[in-house]
Amino acid sequence: MTHAHAGQQLPLDPSVAPPGTRNFRDAGGIPADRWHADQNGETLVPTHCCFCGVQCGMYLRVDHAGKVFGVEPRNHDINRMRLCPKGINAYQQVNHPDRLTSPLMRRSRDEPFREVGWEEALDFTASEIRRIQSEYGNDAFGLLGGASLFSEKTYLVGKFARVALKTRHVDYNGRLCMVSAAGANKLAFGIDRAGNPFSDILLTDCLLIAGSNVGECFPVMTQYLWGARDRGATLIVVDPRETAIARTADIHVALKPGTDSAFFNAVLHVVVAEDLTDEAYLAAHTTGWEEVKKTVADYPPSRAARICGVPEEQIVQVARVFAGAGKAMAWHARGVEHHSQGVENCLTIINLCVATGNIGRPGAGYGTITGQGNGQGGREHGQKSDLLPGGRSISDPEHRRQICAIWGIDESELPPAGTSMMEMVWQMQRREIRGLIGVCNNPFVSLPHYATVKEGYDTTEFHAQFDFFLSETAANAHVVFPVTVWAEDEGVMANAEARVVKHNKAQEPPAGVRTDTWVICELARRLGAGDKFAFPDSRAVFEELRIASAGTVNDYYGITYERLEETGGIVWPCPSTDHPGTPRLFEDGRTYHADGKIHMQVVEWHPPMDPYSEEYPLSLTTGRTVAHFLSGNQTRRLGALVEQTPRPWVEVHPSHGFRNGDPVRVVTRRGSEVFPALVTEAIRPDTVFVPYHWPVPTAANALTIDALDPRSKIPEYKVCAARIEAAERIDEVPAPPTGPGQVAYPETQVSRGDPLPPTSPQGRGTSERS
Amino acid sequence: MMGRTIFIDPGRCIGCQACVSACRECDSHRGKSMIHLDYPDEGHSVASLPTVCMHCEDPVAPCAEVCPADAILVTADGVVQQADTTRCIGCANCVNACPFGVPKIDLQAKLQMKCNLCYDRTAYGLAPMCATVCPTGALFYGTLDELRAERPGVQVADSFTFGATTVSTGVAMVVPADKVQWLVPGGLPVVEVNGVDVR
Amino acid sequence: MIEPPQAPAEPPPAPAGPPPAPADRTPQTPAQVRRRATLAGVAVSVLLILAIVFGSRLLRDFDSALLPYAVATVFLAFGVAYRYTVWVSAPGARRLFRQGWRAFFSVENFRSAPTALPRMIATYLGFQKFLGARSHARWAAHQLIFWGCILAALITFPLTWGWFTFTSSTGSGPGYEMRIWGFKVLGFDSLNIVGWLMFHGLDIAAVLVIPGACYFLWRRMKDRGAITGQRFAYDLVPLIALIVISVTGLLLTFSSIFLHGGGYEFLAILHMVSVVFTLIYIPFGKFFHIVQRPAAVGMQLFKYTARRKAEATGPASAGTATSSTATMSAAAGVVGADGPDAGLLTCRRCGRPIDTAPYVDNLQGTMRDLGLGFDEWTEYCPRCKRVLRGNAYLSHVKKGFK
Repeated sequence: MTHAHAGQQLPLDPSVAPPGTRNFRDAGGIPADRWHADQNGETLVPTHCCFCGVQCGMYLRVDHAGKVFGVEPRNHDINRMRLCPKGINAYQQVNHPDRLTSPLMRRSRDEPFREVGWEEALDFTASEIRRIQSEYGNDAFGLLGGASLFSEKTYLVGKFARVALKTRHVDYNGRLCMVSAAGANKLAFGIDRAGNPFSDILLTDCLLIAGSNVGECFPVMTQYLWGARDRGATLIVVDPRETAIARTADIHVALKPGTDSAFFNAVLHVVVAEDLTDEAYLAAHTTGWEEVKKTVADYPPSRAARICGVPEEQIVQVARVFAGAGKAMAWHARGVEHHSQGVENCLTIINLCVATGNIGRPGAGYGTITGQGNGQGGREHGQKSDLLPGGRSISDPEHRRQICAIWGIDESELPPAGTSMMEMVWQMQRREIRGLIGVCNNPFVSLPHYATVKEGYDTTEFHAQFDFFLSETAANAHVVFPVTVWAEDEGVMANAEARVVKHNKAQEPPAGVRTDTWVICELARRLGAGDKFAFPDSRAVFEELRIASAGTVNDYYGITYERLEETGGIVWPCPSTDHPGTPRLFEDGRTYHADGKIHMQVVEWHPPMDPYSEEYPLSLTTGRTVAHFLSGNQTRRLGALVEQTPRPWVEVHPSHGFRNGDPVRVVTRRGSEVFPALVTEAIRPDTVFVPYHWPVPTAANALTIDALDPRSKIPEYKVCAARIEAAERIDEVPAPPTGPGQVAYPETQVSRGDPLPPTSPQGRGTSERS
Repeated sequence: MMGRTIFIDPGRCIGCQACVSACRECDSHRGKSMIHLDYPDEGHSVASLPTVCMHCEDPVAPCAEVCPADAILVTADGVVQQADTTRCIGCANCVNACPFGVPKIDLQAKLQMKCNLCYDRTAYGLAPMCATVCPTGALFYGTLDELRAERPGVQVADSFTFGATTVSTGVAMVVPADKVQWLVPGGLPVVEVNGVDVR
Repeated sequence: MIEPPQAPAEPPPAPAGPPPAPADRTPQTPAQVRRRATLAGVAVSVLLILAIVFGSRLLRDFDSALLPYAVATVFLAFGVAYRYTVWVSAPGARRLFRQGWRAFFSVENFRSAPTALPRMIATYLGFQKFLGARSHARWAAHQLIFWGCILAALITFPLTWGWFTFTSSTGSGPGYEMRIWGFKVLGFDSLNIVGWLMFHGLDIAAVLVIPGACYFLWRRMKDRGAITGQRFAYDLVPLIALIVISVTGLLLTFSSIFLHGGGYEFLAILHMVSVVFTLIYIPFGKFFHIVQRPAAVGMQLFKYTARRKAEATGPASAGTATSSTATMSAAAGVVGADGPDAGLLTCRRCGRPIDTAPYVDNLQGTMRDLGLGFDEWTEYCPRCKRVLRGNAYLSHVKKGFK
C-alpha cells in the first residue's frame, strides 16, 4: 500500500483495542452522566415485571424526587431474584423520552396528528361513537383489549363494551396467544388454567416441554426446568428448532411444524401398545377414553414418523420415558397452540397426561405457559368475546342473569357473543364494524397477514387507541390516548400458574397522562353510563371484580389487595378471605365439569392450512427472541434490548447454501420480505424461522397466514408454506413511531441499522456489537 | 480456599444476556456492562458462555502484574478490582494479557474497566448483579456448600491450562464428576478452529 | 504544594538520568531495587539541595521563615525519586518506560511529526480530555484543582527555594521588581492589576482548588460508584489536605487584610503543617498519579511512533518488530499494513486488529519477565480467547447440562 492510499491522518491518539473490549456505549434510555446512583434517598417499591406470564417479582428503585430510576432483584417465590433482560430493562420505559404525554387527534388519516386537550379528545371520541352507532347500530363499533392490562382494566374493557358501548364486538389480543390452551382446558377439565404450580416442576421425574422456547420466552422459568434436572428428572423438548433448552435436553424431538397432534397421538399409541396406561385412573376419572384409544390406534409411530419427520425410535422413546416415569409433567406454549388445530394439539397432550395418570399430583400434571403478563387473568373477566366476568359464558342464560344483576342492567341490554379479533378485522374490511377502540394491543405487528389487517383498519371510519408509546397501530388511528405504564398505577395480574399478584404504583404518571381506568370511565360518562363506571381507582374496580367472580370457577372473592400484599400472591379459585388459594388442581380427582370427570377428546391430525407446493416447499415458523416482547412497541425502544437484538433475521439450515448475513428473501403466498440469514444447524432443513417483533417491512406477520382454529379462532402463526431465495438487499428496520415533532430517542436506536443477523437467536454476543 | 465466589456452568446457560443487562445496573459502574456473553458454537448450536472476571489466584492476577501503572488492586479477599481511575493510563496491557479475555478498555476515557465482582454488593454480602438475576443458575454466587445444596453432587474446578501454564482462579467452573481431576482447558494451544488450521 | 505534572522530559522532580536499567532480563531482588531506589533518592535530594543553595545565591535570597517548606521539598524529592525508581523497576513499567523514552528521544520521530508530542501533552496532560470522556463534571473539577495546583506550585516552589525574590527599591512598594536567581525579570506596581495578581496568585489558586476538591469530596460521600472500594487514607485524605491548605491559605490573606494579622501565627502554622504533610504524602498516596501520569503520554507516543513507522515503511516490513511477531503475522495473513490499520497486529483467529505490533511484542516480553507462560495468547483477541475456551469446554469438558 502506498502513502497516498493511507490517506487519512493517523489520529493523535493511535490507540486501538480488540473487538468487544473497547465499547462502553451506555445502552440506556438515559445518558450516562445521569445514571449515577446516590447513596441516599432511595425507595424500593415491590412490584412485578410488566412482561411475560411468569410475573417475576422485582423492586423498582425510586429516587428522592419520586422517579423510577432502576431495578433491584426481589426474592419473590416465583422467581427467587432472577430476572431476564426484558425485566431488567423494563423500568426504563417509565421515564422514557418517547412517552406520549398528550392526547393526539386528527379528523382524517391524511392529516398529521396534533396534540389536543383531554376534553377535546374524549368529546370527539364519544361523538364519533354516537354517530357510528346511531347510523349503523351498536354492533358497528368494536373494542379490542389486551392481556398486558391489569385484571381490573380487562374487567373494565368487557364491561365498557357491554354496558357503555352495548356492542357484541369486544375481544382482546389474548386471542393471538392463549385461547387454544384455554379452549382445550375448558373442554377437558371445565376450568381454564394450568393444573400445577411451577414449584411442582421441581418434583417431577419427567418433564415434557412442547412448543415452548422456555429459555427465550420465559427465561426465568428455566430455573424450574434445571432444578428438576438437578434432582434427576428427564427433560423432553418438542420443538422444530434446537433452542437453548432443547440443546441440552435428554430427548429433543425436532418435528416438522404443524404435526404436533400426529406426534402426540403416536406417543399415546405406543403408550397403549406397551400397556403403560394408568387404567385405574382412566376408569375412575375420565370419559371418552375408549374413543381416544381407538383413534390413536391409527397413529403407529411409523406413520407419525413420516408426518413429523422424526425417527420412529424417538417416538417410542418419548412414550417409554414419559409413561415410565413415576411422576411426569407436560407444559406447552404457543408452539402447539398457534395452529389451525391448536385446541386439538393441546388436547392430545392432555390425553397423554391423563392416560398415564399424570394429573393433579405433586410433580405430576399439566400446564400451559401464558405468554403475556396477564395472559391468564386477562381472559378471565370478560374482555373475551364469549365470556363474562368470572369466566362465565355470555351464551348461558343463568350466567347472563347473574352478571346483569351485578351490573344493574336489564338482561335484554346485554349483547350476545361477538367474534374473535381476526374475524373483527375481516368485519372491518367488510364495513360491518366501522369504529374501533383499541386498548393495549398492536395488531399491525401482532396479527397475521398484515395486508389484511392494514386494509381492515384503514376501512374504519373512526379508530382510537390507548397507548403509552405510539405503536404502529396507534400511528394509524384518529385519536390516541396517552395512558400510564404499569409502574404508574396499581392492579393485579394472574401469572401462568393462575397466581394473582399485585403490582404497586411506584411513581406518579407524567403530566398529561391518565390511567386507562380514568379514560374508560370518562368515555362511559360521556356515553351516558357514568353511574355504572364510577370507579375512582383500580381498588374500586377490583372490589366489583371480586364480587362479580364470586361463586364462579374463577373465584377471586377471597383475594383482596391486603392479602396479596401480605402473601405475595394467591392462586384462584379462592372463594373466601380465609381460603389459602388453590395452587394445584384436581387433587381430589374431580374436575370442574358437572360430572367431575376429565372429558378426553378425540383428535385427528390434519395438515396445516397453507398447503405446501413445489413453489412453497418450506415451513415458515415464527416466534419470539429473548430481548423483545410481542409486538416490540415497548422493547424496541429500550437501548439495551435493541443493542442485544437490533433486527429480525431468517434462520436457515446450512443445506440451503446461504452464508451468514446473506440477504434472503422469504416468500409466502401473502408476500415477501428480505432478512439477513442466520445460518445454523439448530433448525430443521425444511423449516425457516423469523421472529415477529418488528413492523413492516421486516414483519414476520406480513408473511403468515390468517387461517384460524375453528374452535379457538387462534391464527396459525406457527406454520405456513414458504420458499427462500437469494436477494440483493435486506429490508431495513423502521424506527418506532413517535408523537408529532419527536423522534425515537436516538441513544436507544443506535444499533437498529445493523444489517447483520445476531450471532445466535438469543442476540448478538457482547463482542459482536460495534 | 474457595469461599463465597461465582460458579459458572455454561451447560445451564441459555444465552439470554440477563447478566449483561444486570451488570449495567450495578451501582459501582452503572450504565456500563462488564460481563461478556459469547456464542462460541456459532452456526452449530445456541450454546453460550458467560465470562466474568475469574479473579486469578495463582499467578495472582496477571492483569495486575503486567500493569505498568500499578492501577489494579487485589483486595485481601482475593477480588481483583478494576483499574484505579487516577492511575490507569489506558495502555491495554491487562486487556491483552488476561488469558480469559476479561478486561475492557474505554479508549476515550483512557480507562480499563472490568468485572469487580460487584464489589459494592459483595462487600455487603449481597450477590453480584449477574449471579443474582441469572435465570438459570449458570452464574451462581455462594459457597461450594450452598451450590451443592441446590445441585446435589455437583463438582467444580478452579484450574485452567493455557499451554504448559496452569492458572488457578478464585471463580470456579462446573465440571462433570468424571472430570474433576482434569484441568479445564483454557483454549490454548490451538491447532484447529472449526476445522480450519489456524497455526 | 503539588509538583506540576510535566512532560516525560522532566521526570519529577529532576531526572537522575534514566535509572540504571540494566539490559538483563532477570528480575532484580527487592533488596536490589530498594538499594537503587535509595541511591536515586539521595542523589536527587542532594541535587535539589545544591540547586537551592546556588539558586538562592548561596542562601542570600533564602527566606529562613520558609525553611520547613524547603526541607519538605527535599523529602519530597527523595520520596518521589525513590518511589519512581521502585515503580519503573517492575517489569511492566520498566518496558513501557524504555519504549516511551525511546519514542521520545527518537530524532526520526521528531522530524516526521514534530507537533505530535506537544499536542499530546497539551490534550492529555494539560486539558485532560480523557477525563471528559469519564464525566464532564469530574473533568471540570479536576481542571480546577489541576490549574490551581500548577499555579501554586509555580509560585511557591521557587519562593521556598529562594529562587525568586520580590524587592522594592523604596522599601515598601508600590514599585516592586521580581528577580530570579538574582536577575531582574520584571518590575511592577503592586497597586495595578498585574501587581495585584502577582501578590494574590496563591489566593487565586486556592479559589480554584476549593470548589474542585469540594466537588470530589461531595461525590465521594454520595455516589455509589465512587464509594465502592473507597479508602479513607487513599481517597479522602488528599482531598481534605487540599481543602485545608487552600482554606488556611485564604484565611492568611483574610487575616492580614481584614484582621490586621489576627490569628495569623496560628493559621500560618496550620497551613505549614498541612503543606508539609501533603508534600511528604505525595510519593506514597493518590498524588503519586501526578508523577505517573506522563507515562500515558509515553505509552501513547510509543504506539503512535510504531504506527507511523509502519505507515511509512509500508506492508513489506510491517509487523517485523520481532521474529515471532513476523511469523505470526504471516500466519494470520494480515498485519494491517494498509492505511488506517498500518502497524497493527491482527488476531490470529478472526483477523481483527488487536494493537500495534511492537506494543504486543513489548507486552509479551513483560509477560515472559513475569513468568506468565501464556504470552503467545496475546496474539488472539479477547473475544477469540473466550470463544476458544468455550469451544474447548464444549468439546473436552461437557457439551450440555450434565
